[in-house]
Amino acid sequence: MALVHKLLNGSYILRKGLKPSVAACPFLSTRSADYCSSSLQKPVATPGKASTQRTAAGGLQEDQREVSFDKAIKDEIKEHFRRLKDEIVNHWIGPEGRPLQEIILEQARVVWQFRGKEDLDKWIVTSDKTIGGKSEVFLKMGKNNQSALLYGTLSSAAPQDGENSQSGYCAMISRIPRGAFERKKSYDWSQFNTLYLRVRGDGRPWMVNIREDTDIIQKTNQMYSYFMFTRGGPYWQEVKIPFSKFFFSNQGRIRDAQFQLLLDKISSIGFTLADKVDGPFFLEIDFIGVFADPAHTEEFAYENSPVLNPRLFK
Amino acid sequence: MLARGLSRGWRGICGAALTGAPFSQVPSQVPRGLHCSVATHSSDSSLVPRPPEPLRQPAKPLSPHEELFRPAPDGARDKASFVRAVQNFGQHNVHKRGHVDFIYLALRKMRDYGVEKDLAVYNLLLDVFPKEVFRPRNVFQKIFVHYPRQQECGLAVLEQMENHGVMPNKETEFLLVQIFGRKSYPMLKFVRMKLWFSRFKNINPFPVPRDLPKDPVDLAVLGLRHIEPDLSARVTVYQTASSKDSTGTADPTQQHIVGIQSPDQQAALARHNPARPIFVEGPFSLWLRDRCVYYPIQLDLKYGRGGWDDYEFDIDEVEEGPVFAMCMAGAHDQATLAKWIQGLQETNPALAQIPVIFRLTGSSGELLASSSGLEEPSPPPPQEQEEEEDHTQRQQQGQS
Repeated sequence: MALVHKLLNGSYILRKGLKPSVAACPFLSTRSADYCSSSLQKPVATPGKASTQRTAAGGLQEDQREVSFDKAIKDEIKEHFRRLKDEIVNHWIGPEGRPLQEIILEQARVVWQFRGKEDLDKWIVTSDKTIGGKSEVFLKMGKNNQSALLYGTLSSAAPQDGENSQSGYCAMISRIPRGAFERKKSYDWSQFNTLYLRVRGDGRPWMVNIREDTDIIQKTNQMYSYFMFTRGGPYWQEVKIPFSKFFFSNQGRIRDAQFQLLLDKISSIGFTLADKVDGPFFLEIDFIGVFADPAHTEEFAYENSPVLNPRLFK
Repeated sequence: MLARGLSRGWRGICGAALTGAPFSQVPSQVPRGLHCSVATHSSDSSLVPRPPEPLRQPAKPLSPHEELFRPAPDGARDKASFVRAVQNFGQHNVHKRGHVDFIYLALRKMRDYGVEKDLAVYNLLLDVFPKEVFRPRNVFQKIFVHYPRQQECGLAVLEQMENHGVMPNKETEFLLVQIFGRKSYPMLKFVRMKLWFSRFKNINPFPVPRDLPKDPVDLAVLGLRHIEPDLSARVTVYQTASSKDSTGTADPTQQHIVGIQSPDQQAALARHNPARPIFVEGPFSLWLRDRCVYYPIQLDLKYGRGGWDDYEFDIDEVEEGPVFAMCMAGAHDQATLAKWIQGLQETNPALAQIPVIFRLTGSSGELLASSSGLEEPSPPPPQEQEEEEDHTQRQQQGQS
């Protein structure tokens, strides 16, 4: 899909010569570089809009350097076939490209770590600038490239557009893992039961959101969340959240019918700050992992009540 | 147009009846029921005495009943005057015309009067509704949302309670049953609030008291105790702010300094090699509920690498050097911090031989490494912004 958009926009730009992309793509002007945070309409990356942004910016450079457009397409096709070959070969080695006995004996796994710039590219930062608010959020590598620093300013001034009465949130969401030809892949954490984060915050309460894979069933607005309280201070904090504690919410509201988070198709994880307190904030993350805590036997922390859900108790 | 208004109201009611502040991507819509009730209000303009409208903010139109919230001649805006304003509304019109508008206005004014966390005031506001009128009496009224604007208004009151973390009590339940009936949306929201608030009441492993101390020294002590996991650490107040009754201009040489150090840290400092310097870093920000305090820390930076032992996480752990002490001070310039170091030297005599380097930043929360040496804090801010812009450009172009 990225290829198709590249074709469309590339040819458009070539036709207009060096006319800047603002004229060619009108919807780009709303999200040009004066937004400090890289913003998208929905937290889940829509590859279309994002790739037009990149190719428009890259398109200008391409014109100046006279690089062949066909070469770029050929490179991308080669990359996708390489990924396909990796997938087929990995299928023979074992699940996710690692031998089976390693996967079975594994008790702890590091899923995201922050040791270089390429690790930062796996995350998207959003703020309420997409709805017209004034919060800013940035993501950069921390000290000595050992951690990632998410910082910014939260502002709960509501946008005066007659539609939103509350505002003020900042979020960092992981990109959905992609396979060959931009197919969506998902994480399988079914043998683990706790989420482990090593963070250093400033005392603000954050919210951890997990989204499930939307391959077969449309679940774009549903997610499972829980709170992460940071302590503040110079000491690294280990946050262990068992997956049984995550509650279900749809469209931003907690639902009455609660069901436990199923771990076999996890699509992305995200951190949100929306504690209605204006001011600067920062969160330093060392790594994010999952592990199997043998002492934790709870399956699900919230039971459904017959008052709110009479149909479940018939 | 009527159908569209009804469907919008339906969506609004169903959305607002669920708990959970709209923190994620879809913000909530609090429907404003102004369209229907303005028509009823214009008829009784003769009943409410209209004072001469003062000329303030000509762009913003005054809402009806705004004159009830005019500040009193002595200017006190507190709970008593708010309660008086609410009661005055009931006195002027027995039939309580325009109560929906009045309740929305009162909800907006609560923050100015400082009563947004007070349950009794919310109950008083719910008391403004006429009782027993909005309860559905037959099956048709039960199917269709009976008195939708009033139910939306009740939901707005409960939603503001939820936003401020106020737990409703039995009096609220009784009022809601009397006004709306047991099967109404406000009652449903009340049940949800009771359920989810009680579930999430104690999930904070580091609780902060609701009423923060006003005294900066006490706040600093609370903040330092909050940060330090070692319970045997001792808090020392090196200097308190001298003039308690200052007229707004704080004396720059007499800011408060409060430090904390645990016995382990004292021992580590005594063992510290005098050849390696100690850095004073800061200021970092710490948020306690809605107050931000700043603290510099004194540590030894040594980026060692160690393996993880407990759960076989296959990652190299990052070790920053041991933290020796922390402090909170009123000002973050070098003079104040030098006084703190002098105070620390009394309990840690080894500190006299160790060189101390100040790495202070001007802004909050960002760790900027300035060059070593005893120099003035903070590299110039425009430099920071350039870094950020470069990075955001790269972030934007890096999207795929």
